Amino acid sequence: MLKATPTSPSLTPKTSQRTGKHQRSSAARRRDNLYGYLFLTPWLIGFFGLFVGPGLYSLYLSFTKYDVISPPTFIGLKNYVDMFTDDDLFWSSLLRTAYYAGLSVPLSVIGSMFLAILLNNKLRGITIYRTLFFMPSLVPLVASVILFKILLNGDFGLVNEGLRALGMENPPGWFADSKWAIPSLILIRLWGSLGGTQMIIFLAGLQGIPTELYDAAAIDGASAWQRTRNVTIPLLTPTIFFNSVLGIIGALQTFAAAFIATQGGPNFATWFFALHIWKQAFDYFNMGYAAALAWFFAILIVILTLIQMRLSKRFVFYYGE
Amino acid sequence: MPFAAAVFGPILYAQKSEIAMTKNISRRQLLKTIGLTTVAGALAACAPPAAAPAAPASGAAAPTTAPAADGKVSLKWDTFRAPGTGWNEERIKTFTEKNPNVEIEFRPLTGASQQDNYGKMYAQFAAGDLGDVIAFDPSHFHFWRAINKGIITPLDDLAKSDNTDLTQWYEQFMNLQRVNGKLYGLPSWGWAGQDTMVINAIPFKEAGLTLPDPTAHETSMDTYAEWARKLYQKDSVFGLATTYDEGHLVTLTRAFNSDLIDAEGKKSLLATDTKAQDALRWAYKLAVEEKIMPRPADMADMVAAQVDGKVIMRWGGSLDVRNYKKAITGGAKGEVAQGLLPMRTDGKAPSQIRGGTWNILQTSANPGVAYQFLKHITSMEGSLGFNLVGGQGAFVRPDVVAELIKKDAIHEWFIPNLENGIIAHAPANSRGREYNDACSNWGTKMMDPNENIPFEQGLKDLHDNIQKVLDMEPA
Repeated sequence: MLKATPTSPSLTPKTSQRTGKHQRSSAARRRDNLYGYLFLTPWLIGFFGLFVGPGLYSLYLSFTKYDVISPPTFIGLKNYVDMFTDDDLFWSSLLRTAYYAGLSVPLSVIGSMFLAILLNNKLRGITIYRTLFFMPSLVPLVASVILFKILLNGDFGLVNEGLRALGMENPPGWFADSKWAIPSLILIRLWGSLGGTQMIIFLAGLQGIPTELYDAAAIDGASAWQRTRNVTIPLLTPTIFFNSVLGIIGALQTFAAAFIATQGGPNFATWFFALHIWKQAFDYFNMGYAAALAWFFAILIVILTLIQMRLSKRFVFYYGE
Repeated sequence: MPFAAAVFGPILYAQKSEIAMTKNISRRQLLKTIGLTTVAGALAACAPPAAAPAAPASGAAAPTTAPAADGKVSLKWDTFRAPGTGWNEERIKTFTEKNPNVEIEFRPLTGASQQDNYGKMYAQFAAGDLGDVIAFDPSHFHFWRAINKGIITPLDDLAKSDNTDLTQWYEQFMNLQRVNGKLYGLPSWGWAGQDTMVINAIPFKEAGLTLPDPTAHETSMDTYAEWARKLYQKDSVFGLATTYDEGHLVTLTRAFNSDLIDAEGKKSLLATDTKAQDALRWAYKLAVEEKIMPRPADMADMVAAQVDGKVIMRWGGSLDVRNYKKAITGGAKGEVAQGLLPMRTDGKAPSQIRGGTWNILQTSANPGVAYQFLKHITSMEGSLGFNLVGGQGAFVRPDVVAELIKKDAIHEWFIPNLENGIIAHAPANSRGREYNDACSNWGTKMMDPNENIPFEQGLKDLHDNIQKVLDMEPA
């Protein structure tokens, strides 16, 4: 049995050595930390100064009446009460936004996915096809919207002239028709996004699926559709989920296309929630009310995203888990 | 002091710790320091000044100057009108040559749209940094808001002490500058709005119709409706096209001897005035019942459609007539003509005088000098240059229009309505932008041939929504 005595000569220097190492490593760690924080500081300043700070200030403004010209006046929850009780465009713009997101996101995600599956084939000249499909996403949104406005002019546009030539008596009014205005905006979104970033992410997802799974399915006699249904799509669910979450957030925030194409019209048909916030803030200068709308909308998007995260456990499969 | 301690305390503490190397800088501590500093900085930057520049209680400031120590008087000129054309610089140069003790700092506002610039101007005002010479445009309704908020000053005392001849501008453009009996600006750009039928004369004459005299109010609204029917060709040509924004709705009701809202800007006339209702019925019949006008929301591309010969008459304004003429190029089958709306029973021409204005900041330290500069930019030379160099439509002075006629006789067509137009009425509660949106959205809805909204329902919706805006609390 080892008996250590207090006078054991071997212990003292060892302890001392360990303490010295500890001190050195502690000082080095501090220095490393300091440098780390130093390099992080520009981002942190931006994060707090340009995001957290203004965000908190807008939260404060949401409890005030503020028109930019005069100092904000605290009015408690009035803005939040008014949006539910005294704003004709609140619910309608919210529903309109949900309609746009509900229609455009599935079309965009499913379309991109099938396009990616098609472009994942080892065909001759496939990179040319991929490039061609990707090109519309490079066109600036403003240019796309103006182009589509000319093409889809209800009375004089090329599309309707073509439809009339084909015998259609009353072709859609597109942007000028309140029933067709949102589908027209969805058309622009699909044109720009089907072959865009979403498709690239799907392609990356497809190329991450192990080929042995396809080989095994083929040996078992699975057809191409069965391989797609039972191998490709289940293993793409993380990518589908990712694209859906980002797609829904993006669609709910839709603003620019409606602002450029229709300014919310005709007959409020494209008066989306983000446009409503913008109008209140920068056209009517009801900054406090606009801040309340923005906070309500931000919380709504967070809740929707959390619901999606929760639901994802039911349909998202990760290979190897 | 406690605020400063809260903000800077952690920083100083962190620095002290670092120097002594006796304490570790924790992540939390660093985040707290940066967070407090930046949030405080952001709040300080975003917060309005403790007291926004106070409006003088008794209106106009005395025409005094506040020279700097070197004897120079400094003015700031903030505008989104004509930057990049050289006009602004020319005006400054010619003014300072005559007034060597004055320095003018030109600060162009270059927002993505005109509306963006108003937001910036309000923010500048709140920060105490708005220029001495500015422009809040009546066409965008910010003119009245700027008056109600005490941003711009009345010019009556300045004009009186200067003995300014206020008849050098068209009377109606001067009337547009007056609110509650006080003069708030001098006009520079401006035109008679939505007062004409812009006509493509070639197909008009080919249809066997005789062009109206461009300077006579001789054509009735029924005649215009008849022409619209005669010129219409299904799926190829529209005889008449119009929109239902605020300016068009106002002129439409004025053409029927009524108006859209009362002169005080408090009441919509659509529910009670049968003449205003007749006006809307006239348009409704053509647009919804007979469906011979294009969808109102397609009007954005209507200039091109008119150049292409797909629209023959387009309801517009004098500026549209001039612009249409400019757009006919390269062998397009177009020739410009104009038809005026029928004269009202009160002897006024149905129109909405649209125009800009140059104003002086109510808290300007040098209103007297600013007023002299205002006169300089709205003078005959200034206004003519604004047209020819600045590229704007500025028909506010008879002498300028006379000069423009020498360059293009078409300007002669505009004189009757410039002399005898009707000024715009603005909501008393400074809710002009909301009023504008209510008119265009509900007007378009009522007149959309695809919506088929019954006339009475469309009229009620339009009236109710305009009135709702007029009843809002002041902005």
